[in-house]
Amino acid sequence: MATMAQEFSKGILKENPVFRLLLGMCPVLAVTITAINGFGMGIAATFVLLCSNIVVSLIRNVVPARVRIPAYILVIATFVTVTDLVLNAFLPALHAALGIFIPLIVVNCMIMGRAEGFARKNPLGRSIIDALGMGIGFTLALTILGIVREVLGAGTIFGLDITGTAFEPMAVFASPPGAFIALGVLLLIFNVLYKKMGLE
Amino acid sequence: MRDSVRMAVTLLLIGGICGGFLAAVNSWTAPIIAARELAEFQETVGAFFPEVEDIEEEEIDGEEYFICYDDAGNLLGVVGSVRASGYGDDPIRYNLGVDADGTIVGIRVISHTETPGIGTFIEDESWQEDQIVGLSFDDPIAVEQDVDARSGATVTLRGITGSIRRVVDTIGDNFLGFEVETMEIDVAAVDDGTYTGTGTGFKSEVTVEVTVSGGEITEIVILDHDDTQAYWDQAEDETIARILDAQSLEVDAVSGATGSSIGIIEAVFDALN
Repeated sequence: MATMAQEFSKGILKENPVFRLLLGMCPVLAVTITAINGFGMGIAATFVLLCSNIVVSLIRNVVPARVRIPAYILVIATFVTVTDLVLNAFLPALHAALGIFIPLIVVNCMIMGRAEGFARKNPLGRSIIDALGMGIGFTLALTILGIVREVLGAGTIFGLDITGTAFEPMAVFASPPGAFIALGVLLLIFNVLYKKMGLE
Repeated sequence: MRDSVRMAVTLLLIGGICGGFLAAVNSWTAPIIAARELAEFQETVGAFFPEVEDIEEEEIDGEEYFICYDDAGNLLGVVGSVRASGYGDDPIRYNLGVDADGTIVGIRVISHTETPGIGTFIEDESWQEDQIVGLSFDDPIAVEQDVDARSGATVTLRGITGSIRRVVDTIGDNFLGFEVETMEIDVAAVDDGTYTGTGTGFKSEVTVEVTVSGGEITEIVILDHDDTQAYWDQAEDETIARILDAQSLEVDAVSGATGSSIGIIEAVFDALN
């Protein structure tokens, strides 16, 4: 049985949902136009993942196996709607920037994947640790991709102009094709790094 | 049997609990969201008309218009909360402020789904200030006339510009007492003869010769134009056929060649006036 520390760190490194498992790619590609959008999406998904892992773990012995998937979807959809409402009420700018991708967290396969693949077989404590690790891994990956695309596409980081006039931003990185290119290059870099670190 | 009952009851229970939880969260956030949207709107109106003291609301064709008065009850202008169709799937929602003289004092884009980096110029304050603010009811408010073309963003630009023209007309017509020019014409009252007139096509002046005989438009001949030939060819025959068929100038432009079609219609209107 893995230790708690291993459960936590696996989501960030060894089984990073974006760089290793390639799960939940839709928001990864769509919202990472800027670093803050990527970070905000990561936090929103982490919140939903944490809540759904908690509930799924708690009800794991109560829900009949054959209806577990609809049950999980109900739980996830509820927390996604809560996230949507709370963001709209308190962080309207981020809510506007993330738009349709907040409701689409419902179909983020990372969250369904953790419910089905982990929380339904593990006790509450481990499920929380797993959600936090995976959520942080997801947030980190989105933020990194957001930083890369923002620097290349707009010449800024978190809205701060760092390149000034020295660099002409490449607008393609702010558009969906640029997301594929940036993600592809990042995956390449991370694959090399993972090999070097012996995590393969 | 017992199994299916248990499955149904479990799902029903989860659904009920989720629904109740959502109702609670919604009743907590709904007033905050509504208050914020109202505050944002008041801020918008305030940005257009700082002296606003009283607002009246009116709905025209499903869009909200806010008529603003100062503390003495004088009309300051009207803010339209309106929509334009652009390139994105969803309409561009924006507010447009027009003062009592019919001049645009401000525009604020609320939401849109235009292509990032291409259609998003509509949010740029510099574009809004340069191109839109200051135009008035008597201006053409048309692309390539008083609004600069933007290559690569034609659909977005034409969508928003056409919409602004329409909103200024609506405000002028309904609240400011201006006469909106229409293409209404009584052909039967026109004496027999041959008339020439000009109109503004997509990027050139269009000159036509119109023959009226027995109270009917019998022939429309294009004398001159310098629009792009490919679009012109689409527009010419079809637009003329539509006018002759309807014996009216309130016909649809040929889709895909709107600019040239409108040029022809305007020129015929000019000729018959």
